[in-house]
Amino acid sequence: MKFWRYLKALLRELSDETAYERHLALSGSTHSAKEWRRFSDERHRAKYSRARCC
Amino acid sequence: MKALLWLAIACVGALATGAIALNRGEPVNSFWLILAAVCIYLLGFRFYSKFLAARVMALDDNRATPAERLRNGHDYEPTNKWIVFGHHFAAIAGPGPLVGPVLAAQFGYLPGTLWILAGGVLGGAVQDFIILFASLRRDGKSLGAMAREEIGKVGGFVALITVLLIMVILLAVVGLVVVNALVGSPWGAFTILATMPVALFMGIYLRFVRPGKVLECSAIGFLLVLLSIFGGQWISLSPYAAAFTFSGITIALAIIAYGFLASALPVWLLLAPRDYLSTFVKLGVVFLLAIGILIVRPELQMPAISRFIAGTGPVFAGKVFPFVFITIACGAISGFHALISSGTTPKMLARETHARHVGYGAMILESFVAIMAMIAACVLQPGVYFAINSPGAILGKTADAAVATITAWGYPVTTAQMATLAHRVGEATLFSRTGGAPSLALGMAQIFSATGGGDAVLGFWYHFAIMFEALFILTILDAGTRVGRFMLQDLAGNIYKPLGRVSWMPGVLVSSAIVVLGWGYFLVEGVLDPLGGINTLWPLFGIANQLLASIALCVATTILIRMHGAKYCWVTGVPLAWLVTVTFTAGWQKIFSTAPRIGFLAQANLMTGRSAFNARLDAAVTAVFLILVTVILLDSLRVWASILSGTQPSKARETPFVQSHLSVEGL
Repeated sequence: MKFWRYLKALLRELSDETAYERHLALSGSTHSAKEWRRFSDERHRAKYSRARCC
Repeated sequence: MKALLWLAIACVGALATGAIALNRGEPVNSFWLILAAVCIYLLGFRFYSKFLAARVMALDDNRATPAERLRNGHDYEPTNKWIVFGHHFAAIAGPGPLVGPVLAAQFGYLPGTLWILAGGVLGGAVQDFIILFASLRRDGKSLGAMAREEIGKVGGFVALITVLLIMVILLAVVGLVVVNALVGSPWGAFTILATMPVALFMGIYLRFVRPGKVLECSAIGFLLVLLSIFGGQWISLSPYAAAFTFSGITIALAIIAYGFLASALPVWLLLAPRDYLSTFVKLGVVFLLAIGILIVRPELQMPAISRFIAGTGPVFAGKVFPFVFITIACGAISGFHALISSGTTPKMLARETHARHVGYGAMILESFVAIMAMIAACVLQPGVYFAINSPGAILGKTADAAVATITAWGYPVTTAQMATLAHRVGEATLFSRTGGAPSLALGMAQIFSATGGGDAVLGFWYHFAIMFEALFILTILDAGTRVGRFMLQDLAGNIYKPLGRVSWMPGVLVSSAIVVLGWGYFLVEGVLDPLGGINTLWPLFGIANQLLASIALCVATTILIRMHGAKYCWVTGVPLAWLVTVTFTAGWQKIFSTAPRIGFLAQANLMTGRSAFNARLDAAVTAVFLILVTVILLDSLRVWASILSGTQPSKARETPFVQSHLSVEGL
C-alpha cells in the first residue's frame, strides 16, 4: 500500500502536478487554464535551461 | 546478529563475484551477476556511504537545508526523500548507462561489469553524493558556480566551455544511435515519426483541452505510442513500406531539422509533453527489465573475456585499458551527474541525511541499470552480437562475407540464423546495425518475450525497445539543443547584448542554428564514417564526459581539503587520479596512436579531402578537452597547495548554520 502511495506521489511530482498544487496554494489562486499556462510556462523555462543528463 | 547478516552478504557477494570472474568456457547464469551486483551495492551503501556521511561530510539534520530556508513553492521545496530519489534518478538516467555497457560487451561481460561495480560504488556514487552535499551547503549552487568559488574564475569559465563542447558531442552521438537504429527500418521509422504528432496532440490537449492533467495526458500519449508500434508493423508489411525506408543520411538530416525546430518552437507544444511521456516510459521500462531478468534469469552467451581485449575490436578500436573505462561512463561515473546533483535535487532535500539516499543511492541504481544493459547485450550469441554491432567496412559487403569474418573470429554465426532473427523482429536485416540500440533492443526483446508470448511477440518488444530508446534520446536532443542555445546566448550576450536575450527571435534562430549545426556536423560525419561513426564519436563522448567528472572531482577535492586538510582528500582524490590517468591515456591514444582505427591523426594521413579534415577535427576537439581539463587540474593543484600550506584560508565556504524547524513526517 505504502509503495503505491509513494509511486503515485512520485508520478505526480514528475508530472509537475504536485508543483502546480503548491503554486495554487502559495499564490492563493484557483485552477484555470490561464493559471496552468502561467505556471507551466514559468516551470518549463527553468526546467529546460538546465543541462540534461546523458 | 546484524554483523552476521552483513558478513553473510559479503560472503555471498564474494562467491558470486568469484563465479562470474573465474568462470571460463561455460555459460554463466545472469543471476550470478545480479547477485554480485546487489551484494556489492548493499555493502557500498551500508558501509562506505555511511562513512562518507558521518565522518567526511558530517551530515547534520539540525541544519536547515536550502529547501527549508529558501522555500518558495517552486524550486525550493522540502520533499519526501523517496520522491526526490525518483526525481533525481529520472534526471540522471539517460541513454548512457544503456548504450555504453552494450558497446563495452565486445571485451566480454567481465571487464565492463567489474568497472560498473567498482566505478559505481567507489567513484560515481561518491562524486554524485559529495557534489550534492556541497551544493546543499551552498544554497543549491551549480557546479560552475562552485568551481568559480572554490577554484577560481578560470575554473568556472573552463567548466562552462567544457559543458558546451560536451553537449555538442553528446547530441551528435545520441543522434547517431537513433540514426543507426532506424536506417532501413520502416517499422521503426514509422513508430518514431508517429511520436511527433502524438507529442503535438499531447501539447495541445494539455494546454487547451485539459490543462494541468499531465498524468491523464501522458497515459493517453502512451496508448497512442503503443498503437503507433502496431501501425509501424502494418506499414512494414504494406506497399507503403518503401516510403518509410530511409537511408542514414536522410534520417540524420531529418533529426537535424527536427532539432532546430524543436529548439525554436514553444516548449509546451513538443518538448514538454514528450519529456513527461519519455520520463514515465523510461522508468517503467527499467522496472520491467529488472522484473524480466529476475523471472527469466537468462544465461550469458558472451564469454567473460573476449579476444578483443588486445585492441582489435570491431565495435570500437582500442585495448581494454583505457577504453572500457571511457566507453562506460554513465553506469560507473559520469560528469553529467554532477550537473544534476547541483541543479534541482539539492533544492528539494528536506534533511541533510537524505543526500545519502539520493546522491549515493540513485547512482547505485543507475549502475544497476548498466548491469542490466550488460546482461541484455550478453544474452545474445556472440556471433549475433558482433554481426549487429560491427560496421560493414570490417565485416565485408555481403552477408556471406560477414558471417565468414565473424566465424573466423571464433564466434560462429550463419546467414540463415541472422535472416531468421531479422524476420522475427520485422527488420530487413540486422547486419551492421551499429550504435548499441538495436542489439540492446534485441536482448531486451528476448528477455521480455521469454516471460510470455515467445517468438510471436519478439517483433513487438524489439520495436517497443527501439521506441523507448529513440523517444528519450530525441527528448535529450531537443532539450540539449535548447540548453546549448541558452549557454551560447549567455556567452554571445557579452559581445552583442541583444544576442543574450532569450526572447529576441533573431538571436534565438541564430544561436539555435549554430548549436544544431555544431552537433549536426559531427552527426553527419558519424553517418558517413566508413568505420562506423560510433568508433569515432563514442570514445570522444566518453573522454569528454569523464573529463567533466574530473572537473567535478577537482571541485569536490578542493571542498574536502578546505574541510579536513589532507585527511580525507583520498575519497575524491583517488577516483580523480584514476579518471585523469584513464582519460588522458585514451585521449593521447585517440590523437597520436599510429593504428589508424584508433589514432585520429594516423587516420587523417590515410585519408584525403573531407574525411582527412574530419579526422583532424576530432583530434583537435580531443586536444581541446585535454587542455581545458589540464588548466583546471593545475589551477586546483595550486589552490590545494595554498590551502595546505596555509597561504589561503582553509575554512569551507558554506552558508552559515541555521537551526532546522522542519518536520518531515507529513512530507
